Amino acid sequence: MLTAAKASLAYLWRQPWQLAMAITGVCIGVAVIIAVDLANASARLAFVESLETVTGEASHQIVGGPGGIDETLYARLRTGHGLDDAAPVVEAEAQLGERRFNLLGVDLFAEGALRDYRFIGNTDAASSDSLFRRFLLEPGSVVLSAQTAAALSMSAGDTFEIAVGGRVERATLAATFDDDGRLAAFVMTDIATAQEWLRTPGRLSRIDLKLDGAEADALSAVLPSDVRLLNAAGRTRATLEMSNAFMINLHAMSLLALLVGLFLIYNSASFTVLQRRRLFGILRAIGVTRRELFALIMSEALLLGVAAGALGILLGVWLGEQLLFFVTRSINDLYFRVAVTDVAVSDLTLFKGLAAGILASLAAAAVPAFEAAHSPPRLSLLRSTLERRAGSLIPAAAVAGLGILVLASVTLRLSETSLLAGLIAIFLLILGAALSIPWLVMKTTARLAPLADRVGGVAARLAVAGIGNSLSRTGVAIIALAVAVSASVGVSIMVDSFRSSVNDWLEQTLRADVYLGLPDGGLDPGLVEAVASLDGVQAYSTSRRSLLVTGDRQTRLIALDMAPGSYAGTEILDADAAAVWPQWESRDAVLISEPYAWQSGLSAGDSLLLPTDRGERAFDVLGVYQSYDLNGSGVMISRSIYDRHWQDRRIDSMGLYLADEDSTAALIERVEALGKTFEQTLFANSNVAVRDLSLSIFDRTFVITNILYWLAIGVAVVGILGSMLALELERSRELGLLRALGLTPGQLAQSIGVQTGTIGLLSGLASIPLGAAMAWVLIEVINRRAFGWKIAVDLEPLYLGAGVLLAVGAAIAGGLYPAWRAATIQPAEAMREE
Amino acid sequence: MNPSRPTEIRAAGLTRRYAEGSRQHTVLDAVDLDVARGECVAIRGRSGSGKSTLLNLLAGIDAPDAGSVDLSGTRLTDLDERRRTLFRRRHIGFVYQAFNLIPTLSVADNVRLVLELNGEPQQTSHPRIGRLLEAVGLHDRADSFPDVLSGGEQQRVAIARALAHEPTVVLADEPTGNLDDAAAERVIELLDRLVRQQGGTMLIATHSARVAAFCDRTLTFHAGKVLPG
Repeated sequence: MLTAAKASLAYLWRQPWQLAMAITGVCIGVAVIIAVDLANASARLAFVESLETVTGEASHQIVGGPGGIDETLYARLRTGHGLDDAAPVVEAEAQLGERRFNLLGVDLFAEGALRDYRFIGNTDAASSDSLFRRFLLEPGSVVLSAQTAAALSMSAGDTFEIAVGGRVERATLAATFDDDGRLAAFVMTDIATAQEWLRTPGRLSRIDLKLDGAEADALSAVLPSDVRLLNAAGRTRATLEMSNAFMINLHAMSLLALLVGLFLIYNSASFTVLQRRRLFGILRAIGVTRRELFALIMSEALLLGVAAGALGILLGVWLGEQLLFFVTRSINDLYFRVAVTDVAVSDLTLFKGLAAGILASLAAAAVPAFEAAHSPPRLSLLRSTLERRAGSLIPAAAVAGLGILVLASVTLRLSETSLLAGLIAIFLLILGAALSIPWLVMKTTARLAPLADRVGGVAARLAVAGIGNSLSRTGVAIIALAVAVSASVGVSIMVDSFRSSVNDWLEQTLRADVYLGLPDGGLDPGLVEAVASLDGVQAYSTSRRSLLVTGDRQTRLIALDMAPGSYAGTEILDADAAAVWPQWESRDAVLISEPYAWQSGLSAGDSLLLPTDRGERAFDVLGVYQSYDLNGSGVMISRSIYDRHWQDRRIDSMGLYLADEDSTAALIERVEALGKTFEQTLFANSNVAVRDLSLSIFDRTFVITNILYWLAIGVAVVGILGSMLALELERSRELGLLRALGLTPGQLAQSIGVQTGTIGLLSGLASIPLGAAMAWVLIEVINRRAFGWKIAVDLEPLYLGAGVLLAVGAAIAGGLYPAWRAATIQPAEAMREE
Repeated sequence: MNPSRPTEIRAAGLTRRYAEGSRQHTVLDAVDLDVARGECVAIRGRSGSGKSTLLNLLAGIDAPDAGSVDLSGTRLTDLDERRRTLFRRRHIGFVYQAFNLIPTLSVADNVRLVLELNGEPQQTSHPRIGRLLEAVGLHDRADSFPDVLSGGEQQRVAIARALAHEPTVVLADEPTGNLDDAAAERVIELLDRLVRQQGGTMLIATHSARVAAFCDRTLTFHAGKVLPG
């Protein structure tokens, strides 16, 4: 069989561009999968590693409510309960220049029991002692990761400014961690310094402990009601789960790119098999069995998959490094702070990418290989016989396609929340449409051909009729292009609809004229009072966002003190607003966001257990409100009820309602000036600026989607160039004959242009309904099931039109080289070619 | 047929029809045929008389609608597709009018292909290819590709390929149809000589009386039937 394989491969080598494009298609598909996997895995790994480092040997954590824990509890645990393996921690957000960090306030004397930090140049005990001394004697001493210090061009002894709770403090770099970048997102300081910077004397964020099961049970029983003992690993898991939907969605996008790639690979594989029908006929006639022929074609696909997969891995690792920046930025924007210094390339990721490339190649080649192997070995099999057979299958394929579309719809209806079922439905939708397209092409070209004759003469008619008469070739190309373009149309509509819904929501929600805020409840109470008393401020609202941690989940609690008239900014979806608001202000009741309702399965009339400072309490769910809050789903509670259950008087942000909207800019200046008198650097903005900022974060989140979208288009364009090239080069003999019969080179080039342009147009038109359907599934099913968001579908005609243009452009571009070749070809040579 | 020699090819009631829209067109109509071992038979007839269809059925490339084919004592029409293919690869050599050489393989590799399919080891196949190319007068073109050869040269490569595995039956479908008279003469003389040297049985479908003259007897086909001789 070696010689047979040699003959077959030599055919492929004779079409190097086509081969290169088939490899490129698989290569990009694999690269996208690997890149997304690497970026996600690297971000998660960096987060887990950094958390493991700061968790150390701690098995449990004591956490409190939004107001934290009284530090006397720590003293009582050590003295009263003899818990030596315990360390207090204060955690908050800090900012150095433009970068945001986790501020970690620790007690170095207690840390040794749980964590073993290694400091560069201070590894011996004496030097560690010197660090202890500096922490104690020189407030403001901090430790940074060596990599962070290098990135900020800092060295030990340097003094710099650090923003904590809106105040700018002076800090001195006492030492750096020898941590391989694991602590790159942290700034460590003494616990007293952290408390001073945060203006929270005597309060801790948590107490880390090393306990066995029995000790944990015993401790739980004696802890006061305002704190809870949590499993440290469970808390890490709960934090990571917040970002799961985001990462799943990225995986879904990468799978969509591979699916598009799959159709294009199928297209390439079909062509390479169809072009060698004569060769395979000869091989069969001289004794190559069906099985041997099938194995031969599949071996080629395997080779192609391995070669393209290997190249895809290289490209994917590079692309992953680029994507990592965007993934990390979005995770920092939305979920938790993480600094990733290296791409974590795991064997599993590489294996997944390579396997995807190989399987895609094999799956794509299987159908044409089977068809070739089961064709009769008679060399007299005419091309017309092949096309007649294809033509007779097309109506049946269209019926099967319709059946698969019905199956897709049933899958969506029967699977209420499964994301996987949603992805399967997208695949079925594409498959069903793909099977129906050739029938539409056959009918359309039959009607278009006479029209083409009237407009462009016989060459144009031959070109258009040729599409319908060569459906064994053109059908697959049109399907591949239509699927690729519809995927891009679907994603565009999804992102645009989402953005439009977020914009509408922001316009409705942001009703105050000016917003100001600081993280971690950092607004000074005196400043809040002073701002509220400013001339021109008619009313104000305040909010406090905190994270309630229970065993298996994190709940974002939003305590609001609403200004009169601002209630209309919150749209309640499943209850009567007029009846809800008075109860919300007066009872132990909450409103839950739409994503929270989706994830928890709760709705109006249910009750929700929340950990308060006096133990767990049940709160009535009054209704579900619309929210596109990107950083986690939330529970909204009235400030007065919040104050009743949690000892936390802090405020994160204020919304100011002005008597005169025109005075906004002047008021912002006055607010900022007022902030300075309280030594606080405020983020004060008009509602328009806040909306723009929110949308820019939205856009940043979708940068990755856009990159994947353009990669999918890249796969499509490469694939379609290959198809057009193959399609037209295969016509060489026919074109040579037309030249011999008297067509001019210009007429031939025009004929190719008409054919490729018509193929593009038909693909583009087919992509309109498929793209719209795909957008609907992405919005109503994938986004809904991944995030819980309900988005209004905005079918922008611009995107549908752009899809058609993209298809026509890609197809015509693919016909350029064949047109040039046809115009310069020698008729005798063309007719002599196989 | 020479009654002193055993029968190599036997076709009985061989029928083949093709669908043309809703109509059935009978290309071969209950043909009976016996060819003795070592015999050379020419099959003549107009285009469309069923010559090529008969050869395709005898080679197992196509399956009849009715009737049977026995080759070298094996009932070919009882074999499944795979066994038919394996039988063809071992026992039959086919020469086509359009040569059907594989353009991406050199002359030597075109010949090597059938030997390889029959499991011939490299050590023995190499000298045999050399001898065959020598016999067809193309030993100096072993590394050439088919597209640089003349029609006559291509057909001589096709003959070398058809005879490489020493088949018991050689089927030639218009082997000189694409050649000029001089080239046709050389090719048919070569084919006849080599097949007879190997003791093979040969059926040649041809329009040419000159080609038919090389054979032991001639059968004439008309409308899918053998005309009485």
